[in-house]
Amino acid sequence: MVDAGGIRLHVQRMGPAEDRSPRPTVVLVHGLLTDSLASYYFTVAPGFAAAGLDVVMYDLRGHGRSERPSAGYTLDHNIDDLEALLGRLAVTGPVHLVGNSYGGTIAFGYAARHPDRVLSLTLIESEPATSAWATKLGAILDRVVIHLAHNEPDAIAWITANRGHNTARLAKGAARLARETTLGRDIPASRVLTEDEIRAVHCPVLGLYGGESDLVDLVPLKRALLTDFRAVVLPGHEHSVLVEAPTAVGGHILDLIQAGAGVR
Amino acid sequence: MNPTQPAPAQPTTDTAPTTDAVLADVCGMLRTVLAEYGDDDAEIGMSTTFNRDLELESIDLVTLAGLLEEWYGRRVNLAEFLAGMEFDEIIELTVGRLVEYVVWSLKTTQAG
Repeated sequence: MVDAGGIRLHVQRMGPAEDRSPRPTVVLVHGLLTDSLASYYFTVAPGFAAAGLDVVMYDLRGHGRSERPSAGYTLDHNIDDLEALLGRLAVTGPVHLVGNSYGGTIAFGYAARHPDRVLSLTLIESEPATSAWATKLGAILDRVVIHLAHNEPDAIAWITANRGHNTARLAKGAARLARETTLGRDIPASRVLTEDEIRAVHCPVLGLYGGESDLVDLVPLKRALLTDFRAVVLPGHEHSVLVEAPTAVGGHILDLIQAGAGVR
Repeated sequence: MNPTQPAPAQPTTDTAPTTDAVLADVCGMLRTVLAEYGDDDAEIGMSTTFNRDLELESIDLVTLAGLLEEWYGRRVNLAEFLAGMEFDEIIELTVGRLVEYVVWSLKTTQAG
């Protein structure tokens, strides 16, 4: 656990412990509600460590093993946490950032705030914070709060029958987070980025999308605003492409990092 | 918040531990993880599944990975073991399969 400016966050690091020579750092940021650093820990992180990267993973506030305050869940809170965490870990040089879903929105926000501190940015099934993003997230979170948090037994029974035991248990955690915190109200009320702020991100940006996901439609938008943007679509996958196709996802991220960062 | 060290005896260094000894160690670690949910009397055997029977979430397996490393050292790497599996395999993972992996890892590293 690391105290990141007044909030205790659960952090895991991977990398060869014996070798203390400086190596590039990759920071992995997970998504909302049902997600945690485990989505990286058991998928792409071991491969990144084996490739010689210093891998930093953490649970967002309210998620996984991190502290769950009752309020303070806007995007800027999450970006502040990432900033404070890297400071506490003494990660001073620029880093490679990877974000899954909402984690990518956080990573993009960090890159927009500190363009010179980010060497590369990978957005898995993710997009920058725009007003369209806030509207969409608001609708999704409304559904979560109404169906899950306030009709939990019915909703969980439906999820267990239709999506299986594992998803149902994750949904219970999501319901608790939605019910006991202001997250559902805070995220849609987050400050969004201007087009100039999006354009300020000048590092290479890789977008990874499941072919069946509606986020594929965003590719032209990002291509127009970003100087160095490449999209890869993984056919046959939906929003959870990270855990469904970790070998492909990890391979594309390593290619991006190794192309620009002098990792041999 | 840090789970306490499990109770079973430390494995000796000159012989690789048996399946039964590793099962006892792993059960101790799982009870530590489950205690956070107030569930400390779950029956655990080789055919117990992490997901359906013990209702562990993936973040609980991160805690278990830390306990395994504390206990056996870096030769037992749960992250690498699971990263080599398909998503459905992880969902169906049994205590027995983990125990076999631990026994195998300890033997392999001892021989090398």
